[in-house]
Amino acid sequence: MKSVFFSRFFILLPWVLIVIIMIDIDSKRAIRTPGVGRTGRVQRAARTGTPGGTGTQNQSALPVIYAITPTYTRPVQKAELTRLSHAFRQVPRLHWIVVEDSTTNTELVARFLARCGVPYTHLHVFTPRRFKRTGMPRATEQRNAALTWLRQHRNRRDTGVVFFADDDNTYSLELFEEMRSTRGVSVWPVGFVGGRAYERPLVSGGKVVGWYTGWRPDRPFATDMAGFAVNLQVILANPRAQFKRRGSQPGMQESDFLKQITKVTELEPKAKNCTRVLVWHTRTEKPHLANEPKHRKDTVVIEV
Amino acid sequence: MPKRRDIVAFVLIVLPWTLLITVWHQNTVTPLLSTRKDDRRLGRSNSRNTFAFKESCSHQNRDMVEVERTEFVYSRPPPWSDVLPTIHIITPTYSRSVQKAELTRLANTFLHVPNLHWILVEDSQRRTTLVSNLLQETGLNYTHLNVETPRNYKVRGDTKDPRIPRGTIQRNLAVRWLRETFSENSIQTGVVYFADDDNTYSLELFEEMRYTKKVSVWPVAFVGGLRYESPKVNTLGKVYGWKTVFDPHRPFAIDMAGFAVNLRLILSNPQAFFKLRGVKGGYQESSLLKELVILSDLEPKAANCTKVLVWHTRTEKPVLVNEGKKGFTDSNVEI
Repeated sequence: MKSVFFSRFFILLPWVLIVIIMIDIDSKRAIRTPGVGRTGRVQRAARTGTPGGTGTQNQSALPVIYAITPTYTRPVQKAELTRLSHAFRQVPRLHWIVVEDSTTNTELVARFLARCGVPYTHLHVFTPRRFKRTGMPRATEQRNAALTWLRQHRNRRDTGVVFFADDDNTYSLELFEEMRSTRGVSVWPVGFVGGRAYERPLVSGGKVVGWYTGWRPDRPFATDMAGFAVNLQVILANPRAQFKRRGSQPGMQESDFLKQITKVTELEPKAKNCTRVLVWHTRTEKPHLANEPKHRKDTVVIEV
Repeated sequence: MPKRRDIVAFVLIVLPWTLLITVWHQNTVTPLLSTRKDDRRLGRSNSRNTFAFKESCSHQNRDMVEVERTEFVYSRPPPWSDVLPTIHIITPTYSRSVQKAELTRLANTFLHVPNLHWILVEDSQRRTTLVSNLLQETGLNYTHLNVETPRNYKVRGDTKDPRIPRGTIQRNLAVRWLRETFSENSIQTGVVYFADDDNTYSLELFEEMRYTKKVSVWPVAFVGGLRYESPKVNTLGKVYGWKTVFDPHRPFAIDMAGFAVNLRLILSNPQAFFKLRGVKGGYQESSLLKELVILSDLEPKAANCTKVLVWHTRTEKPVLVNEGKKGFTDSNVEI
């Protein structure tokens, strides 16, 4: 009798172990959300993808960093997005919101995002040509579209930090860990802005007391788009805070936005009391394409 | 004569145990592949961002060459594998304001590539602390060299003059270092690639070049005044010419970022270097390649040279007018 029991037990044991392991693996795997096509009133459609698996239990407690990147079609677009994605792939719990200045989601960006290895949301909104003259603020509609998406898809229970990542800047990986602890609005130095090697908030006693910049230090928030991050709940708590198009002066975009949601005294200085440069406002040269023929002469069509 | 029931019972017992053992074996082998080669050259990050690497698909093999990278890479850089050929990346660099930014985003890219060895050669009298610290913090496998370009070779003013090849002395030093470090008969497999610090590289590129037997080539974007320049490949898969507008009759009308050389080929041709003097604009790459390989031996990559995997981007010089003559910002703050 006993031998029968033992043999049955040993037969069942490995199968039970296998079932437990399969359940364990399944619970760690991310649930793939199918692409949602939604057409809002203002010609927007969203497509969300979460490729790959997510982290373990102790990582799910980390606030998500939402990187909002406006982008537009030009020859170096794919190169810029490529090297941006290389930085973002190293950052745990980062959600990339890419907003194209276009009437549709372009194939190049859609295909790129599907393989980039970062969870993403792909949006688009077209900026009319009359808003594209020199001196006018850029990417306003795109950033506002991303904020609207966040307000519609996130609620009071979600933790997160929102950050505006332009596609030609350079980001060190340390920056993301600095901004993750933002409770309200945090600020830090940015390289190569304001006509200087860097621009930074002046910090005294752990609080921001002024601005160290080469251009218009009288701005209420003399920082660059890459120089601050906002806690998600602050975005949600200020549903009307947007980047302005009408009545906005050049270089005042950041100030106009930040003064709707915070005060200078409430800013949190990061990067060792704003003494280290962790992000650089690099700009990529327009490539020389003088030898391109007027009409396509090649036998194949190659995406660059 | 064993009974059928006994056979069934036997299979039922053995099968799950073998499954368990194979799964357990696969999961424990990958951490064991993190044996490091030379401690002296190592820069290992000892601080944050060492999240445990969690890959839920246990069958996704580390040794797979195909790059469909949708998994998250939290452990950086990837553990060293004993089977993959090493990619030796030679990057000449020089001090200017955007240097740290350029090297940072290069490092961000390289941290994804397994078995990568970065040889960074500074154009300076001494190895600078900026570069040394940056290399150490990345955790990459690196070698830090330096050699100063003599003043009569240096570019005067801005970098637009194509006749003075920049970075040549630095690249040659790195090639010499490789020849001194690796003997021709060593079993180490490797590939050498010249990567300038302002270009943009996709991760696919490195997997394409890894198994180069002699010299492999592929298209490069934004060179020669074109969207891209590429080798001409015939139906047999052999390179027979160059699709360029700027001097397509060069022996190798290709950019520095458009080819990779097998390490053994470099070691077995100790006379092959980049020519320094008397080199016309655009002929630098030819000056090295003609010592190593003939046209018909070139291996076309990137789907027979129909995909662009590397972009010759250039970073604008930042506008620093407000610094003034003496410099306004604190020079102790490193940018």
